[in-house]
Amino acid sequence: MTLGNSAGALVVSVLLLLGQASDKTPTSPRPTDEPTTPVEPPGPSGSAPPAKPSVSHESGTPPGRTATGRLAQRESVPQQASQPPKASAPPAESEPRPETAPAAETAPRRETTTRPETAPPIEAPPPTAPPAAPLDLGSLEKRLRETEAIGAFTKLSLKNQVDDLLADFREYHKSHDRSMLTRLRQAYDLLLMKVLSLLQDNDPALARDIASSREALWRILTDPDKFKNL
Amino acid sequence: MSRRAMAGALIASTAMLSAAPVRAADDPAVLKDLTAVIALQGQPCGQVLTATKQGDNDYVVACKDGSRYRVFVNAEGRVVVQKQ
Repeated sequence: MTLGNSAGALVVSVLLLLGQASDKTPTSPRPTDEPTTPVEPPGPSGSAPPAKPSVSHESGTPPGRTATGRLAQRESVPQQASQPPKASAPPAESEPRPETAPAAETAPRRETTTRPETAPPIEAPPPTAPPAAPLDLGSLEKRLRETEAIGAFTKLSLKNQVDDLLADFREYHKSHDRSMLTRLRQAYDLLLMKVLSLLQDNDPALARDIASSREALWRILTDPDKFKNL
Repeated sequence: MSRRAMAGALIASTAMLSAAPVRAADDPAVLKDLTAVIALQGQPCGQVLTATKQGDNDYVVACKDGSRYRVFVNAEGRVVVQKQ
């Protein structure tokens, strides 16, 4: 072996050591340009910092694998940012890599794919809407007819007003004029308030049931198909 | 009982029966009902104090605030509150 050859070999080995040393350092998301084998312990510590910004965890894996690892890392970066800083996480991830590269690669991938699944608190917020009250229009109508809390004249007057409101809804469904909806809602709320004020003292159960059916009734009135079946 | 006395009694009872619809309907339930109807129609009244029945579903009422209304059901089946 000539002196030039041995010098060349020395240079190559130094470069390899530098690469490996930088591979042990945690992390920047950017991939490395040169694939290195992450087997050896960190080399000269003085040379590690310059290599830090440009070398990622997956630098020891083949280019194709680094691509997937990069993706996985990108996915996991915002979650890591939202969590408290895990100082020990990058070394733990990098530990198994030197032994068996495929196994080491699948481990972080599993981790990154399971993280979105373990984040259901974001996907499934606590249900804020109250459970839909069971609506039995026939029963409500019968109870309204039979209640003694409202006199006959008043019932007839209420029926007139209900008919007027239904006529307005018929017009709304014909014209599809969305601007009518606000006015209809006001009229609907007012009429319901009248009914409730008449019932609340002498037939509180019916008043409660009608009040809890308010939104279900409104949905029926505003839905063209359901409205036709009224 | 003489025929004249029987005729008199018949006339008197007929007069009483015919006068009954004109008499004030003092049933509190009716007064309350009429009060609610007037309020539903958005007319000022406060409370119905007296109601005079004019016919089927036809009343003239006097309100606490002094106003008077005719409350009746028209031929189309609608309740009408008419200021007197």
